[in-house]
Amino acid sequence: MGLRGDAAIVGAAQYKPEKYATAPQMFHLEQVADLAAQALEDAGLKASDLDGLVINGPQFHEASVFVPAMAAEYLGIELNFAEVVDLGGCTPVGMVWRAAAAIEMGLCQAVLCVIPMRLAPFGPSEDPAWMARAMRFGGHSTAFGAPEAEFDLPYGHMGQNTGYAMIAQRYAAQYGYDQAAMAKICVDQRTNAQANPDAMFFGKPLTVEEVLGSKMVADPLHVLEIVMPVAGGAAVIVTSRELAAKTKHRPAFVKGFGERLSFKSPSYANDMTVTPVAAAAKRAFEMAGVKPQDMDAAQIYDCYTITVLLSLEDAGFCPKGEGMRFIKENDLTFKGNFPLNTHGGQLSFGQAGSAGGFSQVIEAYTQIAGRADARQLKRCDQVFVSGTGGVMSEQGALILQGG
Amino acid sequence: MSLKPMPEMTEISKPFWQGLNEGEIRIQQCNACDGWVFYPRRHCTHCLAHDLEWKPVSGKGTLYSYTLTRIPTLPEFADEMPQALAVVELEQGVRVNTTLVGLAEDEIKVGMALKPVLDQVDAKGNTLLRFTAADKALDSLPYVNPLDSLPRNDKGQVQVGVDNPVALQALVSDEYTDWSNSIVVDQELINTFAELSGDNYWIHTDPERAAKDSPFGTTIAHGSLVQVLQSRLNFALPFEITGFQTMVNYGSDRLRFPSPVPAGSEIQARARVKSVQQSRKGTALTLEVNIHVVGNDRPSVINDLVILYR
Repeated sequence: MGLRGDAAIVGAAQYKPEKYATAPQMFHLEQVADLAAQALEDAGLKASDLDGLVINGPQFHEASVFVPAMAAEYLGIELNFAEVVDLGGCTPVGMVWRAAAAIEMGLCQAVLCVIPMRLAPFGPSEDPAWMARAMRFGGHSTAFGAPEAEFDLPYGHMGQNTGYAMIAQRYAAQYGYDQAAMAKICVDQRTNAQANPDAMFFGKPLTVEEVLGSKMVADPLHVLEIVMPVAGGAAVIVTSRELAAKTKHRPAFVKGFGERLSFKSPSYANDMTVTPVAAAAKRAFEMAGVKPQDMDAAQIYDCYTITVLLSLEDAGFCPKGEGMRFIKENDLTFKGNFPLNTHGGQLSFGQAGSAGGFSQVIEAYTQIAGRADARQLKRCDQVFVSGTGGVMSEQGALILQGG
Repeated sequence: MSLKPMPEMTEISKPFWQGLNEGEIRIQQCNACDGWVFYPRRHCTHCLAHDLEWKPVSGKGTLYSYTLTRIPTLPEFADEMPQALAVVELEQGVRVNTTLVGLAEDEIKVGMALKPVLDQVDAKGNTLLRFTAADKALDSLPYVNPLDSLPRNDKGQVQVGVDNPVALQALVSDEYTDWSNSIVVDQELINTFAELSGDNYWIHTDPERAAKDSPFGTTIAHGSLVQVLQSRLNFALPFEITGFQTMVNYGSDRLRFPSPVPAGSEIQARARVKSVQQSRKGTALTLEVNIHVVGNDRPSVINDLVILYR
């Protein structure tokens, strides 16, 4: 059951994260075309090779329906496979396995997976304040009849911070909590970012004391344990084995994947401390026929430190309840014994909306392809990647393997 | 500043919110599998049977998890800092997103026994379900009208400072003031206005032709005349805004003339505060003024006047 492992990531493009205020503004269609051209060039493929597209539907600026058709027309390509993915931060992971599955089914040979997340230029009649209004309730719907509008917002439950904070508090009550261990996630990842000139926090090292001394947002989460939103966007090209053989670099084959959606609000989880990535990672490892200890690196979705802790435990890198000890006892840097988020993670790289998860996918590919420059791992053949959407609502896992 | 978000009940959830307003906590149980369901739905989340029944429950439960916010989740919640956001597991096993009240920070512990607190949040009786420790004496929080504690002037109007956003919001109401005095709009007044404004269209000024050709069978007042006659109609506002440097008429958000004022009609007015918004420009109070022909339910003028205080 599952993938044979015959589809691979062969090229990527990623905008350097920038502050919204100073980043270039581009229409999303234009970003799609730009990222597609860059990713094809990176892979050594031609536009005429492309016959599949996986794109984000939500937050696509120029359309809310018929997004793939509009984007394909704009690109000037025809498609044998078109898909919209709506999984929040898990979208990139969800895109890659969908592309791989479509390729293995013989539907198509080369799929562009793309999420544009720079701002589009404001129209002459557009009010620039719209974004502030749209962001006011975070990922919470305010539509009449939406359960969260009716049962969460009146009490002040909204956005992501407080949901993750409540998961952390529950974890603390069940297993204990070591703030310094949580801070070490940020610090080790920041060390990685010092070897990544594209990272938002390149040139800005960090200490445990600085993390613990930063402003508390919602107990027990400090502001430095929370990702910084940035403008960006990214794309990868996934192709068949045959086409991968014609590309420039070592491909990263998609050997296993899993996906699990459990809820929208973690309040309704059976057990708030057991996250959906448990089921997703189990399926991914079984599909690939490998184990967590076989991985050369883990690129784990890190919107918050607590996300990393629970993902490490639930994906099987350490036993439940021992994540803090695991973090303290291991060197999580690219020079260490357990390389984690070798690009700096989103905590140090920046989070470009739902394209943020592409930073993990692309880092896994880059390490496998041997193209990670100053932070290149000595050996990198197999990498675990996770994605997380909502408040641990929906999670996915990929096992990538060098060809 | 606008108000905190309020629940908008649906046909599905109405028994829950109405129950709270009446002092009763009701949740749904499945007649097919006995499973409990929250939030309200038409189907059972355990077996999908469309056979749920509302049952009164004690509201007792335990604290599943919580967080104390150090930055408000919305500016409107600044008065609750730190917000004690909580997930409560009721005895029936369902979880409820809520807040804790009446507890010091160090009294809050995951797993603690809780009981419900019915918090009436507005004058209409709308009630939210909050929780406190099982051993506290607190059972309900009555609605406190922020206007009640404010001083009144010699006309009996409550004095609301322009720097008091909570009280300003409490002025917003669906209820109109009492009717003003009434005045008669006769042909002489209409003629004078026609001369002044230059609008001497026959429908206003020619009673003979109007009797023959006008759908109203008589002359009618200019809409803009009736609008400005507001100055002669004294409706008593129940409040006085204080503490500002300047007050200006910022114009009108909406001006409509829904029904005619035939010559010789008697008119009267009433008003209500439609909204109060604060921005960098100052505090904008929108006063909806309605002018009616006496005895006519349909207004002749609806004017959403914006008064800007700075």
